[in-house]
Amino acid sequence: MTAISLPHRFKRSVQKYTIPYLFIAVPVLSLIIFLFIPMIISFWWSLNEYTGLTAAKFVGLDNYIKLLTDDKIFAKGLVNTTLFVLLGMSIGPTLGLLTALMLNQNIRLRSVFRTAYYLPVMTSLVVVSTIWVMLYNQNGLFNTILQNLGLHKIGWLSDPHVAMISIAIASIWQGFGFETVVFLAALQSIPRELYEAAMMDGAGGWAKFRYITLPFLRPVILFVYIIGIIGSYQVFDQVFVMTSGGPVNSTTTIVYYLFNRFMNHRLGYASAVAYTLFAILVVFSYLQMRISREKA
Amino acid sequence: MAAHPKTFRHSLSRFTLYLMLIVSSVMMIVPFYWSVGTSLKLERFVFSNPPQWIPNPLVWVNYIQVLTRIPFPRYFANSVFVAVVVTLGHVFFDTLAAYAFAKLRFPGRDQIFFVMLLALMVPFQVNLIPLYKIMTILHWNNTYLALIIPNLTSIFGIFLMRQFLMTIPNELLDAARIDGCSEFGVFRKVVMPLALPGVATLVIFTFMGTWNDFLWPRIVINSEKLFTLPVGLALLQMKNTSNQAQIMAGTVLTALPMIIVFLFMQRQFIEGMTAGALKE
Repeated sequence: MTAISLPHRFKRSVQKYTIPYLFIAVPVLSLIIFLFIPMIISFWWSLNEYTGLTAAKFVGLDNYIKLLTDDKIFAKGLVNTTLFVLLGMSIGPTLGLLTALMLNQNIRLRSVFRTAYYLPVMTSLVVVSTIWVMLYNQNGLFNTILQNLGLHKIGWLSDPHVAMISIAIASIWQGFGFETVVFLAALQSIPRELYEAAMMDGAGGWAKFRYITLPFLRPVILFVYIIGIIGSYQVFDQVFVMTSGGPVNSTTTIVYYLFNRFMNHRLGYASAVAYTLFAILVVFSYLQMRISREKA
Repeated sequence: MAAHPKTFRHSLSRFTLYLMLIVSSVMMIVPFYWSVGTSLKLERFVFSNPPQWIPNPLVWVNYIQVLTRIPFPRYFANSVFVAVVVTLGHVFFDTLAAYAFAKLRFPGRDQIFFVMLLALMVPFQVNLIPLYKIMTILHWNNTYLALIIPNLTSIFGIFLMRQFLMTIPNELLDAARIDGCSEFGVFRKVVMPLALPGVATLVIFTFMGTWNDFLWPRIVINSEKLFTLPVGLALLQMKNTSNQAQIMAGTVLTALPMIIVFLFMQRQFIEGMTAGALKE
C-alpha cells in the first residue's frame, strides 16, 4: 500500500508546492546568479593576483596585508571616507530633526516646505554634483558672493584641505531631506495625549522634548544613523563627478579607490578593497543590532 | 494688559519659525534655480560678476546644442526604456514573490526569506566586479540586457510588498480559491488590485533608483548609444570642451522627469520613504 501511496503523496506534495516555488523562482535565481556566486568569486579573487587579462595567481592574504599595511592611498581613502561619514552624520540627522520639528508645528504651507527639503533627495547624485561643481567653480556663485563681501575666494574643490568638506556639504544638502521626512512621520505618530498629560503636569517645552519626543524617536534615530553610515561609507558618485578623487587624492574614498583599481585591471586587489569595505559595514550593522537589542 | 508680553513673545517665536523655514527652503531651492537660470544664459554671462540672477538675454541655445550636438535624446530614450522595463519587472516579480512569502505556505519559506534579508546588507561593490565579468562572459556588456536583467527584482521590493500584502485578510483569498481561482488567478484578480497602493510606492522607488543609478551603467556601458542620462551627463561634465551653460541644460533635462513625477506622486514618495523606518 505504501509503495503506491508514497509516490502518490510525493507527487501531490510537489504539486502542492510547485506554485509557491515558481512564484519565488525569479528572485531566488537572480539572488544566486547575480549576488551569491559573484560574492564567492569576488572573495576568491581577493586572495589572488588577478588582472582579468591573464590567469589568476593565488597569493593568500597578500592583497589584504598590502592594503592594510602598505598602501598610502587606501589609508588616505579610509581617512577621507571616515571624515565624510563623520561630517555627514553629525550634521545631516541634526538638520533633519530640526526641520522636522519645525514642520511639526502648526504652520501653513507645510507641504511646500517639505517639498523644498525633499526635492534634492530624489534628484540623482550626478545631477546634484554637477550643479555644485558649478557653484564651487573658482568664479562660481559662492566665490562671487564671497568676493563681493570683501572676503577671499575659496578653492572649494581645488584646495586639498577643503575639497572633502565641500563634497560633504553638497551631500548633506542633498540628503538631509530624507531624515526630515522620516522624523516628521515619526513625530506625527506620537500620541497627542502624552503631550497634553505632560502639560497638565507643568512640563515645559524642553522637558516635553527630552522625556516624550526623544524616547519616542530613539528607534527612528538609530535607523537613520545606521542607514546613513552604511550609505555614506559607499560614497562614490559625488567624488566621481566633482573631483575624480583629487586634488592629490584628498577626496579619494574607499569605493572610488575600488573603482580606480578596477579600471586599472587590478581585479584581485579591488576585490580585497570591496571585502574590507564589507567588513567595516558588517561591524557597524552588528553594533546597531547590539544597541537596538539593549534598548528593547 | 498682562497678556500682552506673552502674545508678543508668541508672535515673535512664530515669526522666527517662519523666517527659519523660509531661509532654509530658499537655500534648498537656490542651487536648482541657479542651474535652470544658467541653462538659459549665454556662456559668457555664466560667471559674470555681479551674478546674473535673471538671465539676460534669455536664450534656448544651450538646450538646442545639447539636444542636437550631443545624443541627449538618445540618452533620454535609453533611461526611459531601462527604467520602465526594470520597473515592470519589479512590479511583477517582487509582488509575486512577496505574495508567496506573505500568504502561501511551503517548506523553507522563512529560511529563504531570512537569507534574503541578510543579503540586503551586502554592499553592491562586493559583487560588482565579478558581475561585470559574468556580463562579459554572457556577451551582455554594452547591451540593454546588462542594465535590465540583473536588476529585474530586488530584495527591498519584495520586503516592502510583503509588509503590504500581510495586511490583506486571508478570507478574501480563500473566497477566491473556493470560487475556483488558481493561485495565479488569486494573485492577478485579488492580490494585485488590493496591492495597488503598495505597488505605487514600489513603482516610484524602482523608477527613481533606476533613473538615478550611476555606478553600474557607468561600468557596464561603453558605447555612447547606450548611455543613460546620468552617465551621459557625468561624461559631458568631464569633457573640458563643454561649457557650463550646456552642462546645466543637460542637468535640467536629466533632473526634470523625476521632479515632475515627484510633484505628482508626492504622497506615495513620502509614504514609501517612511515605510522602512516606521513599520519595523
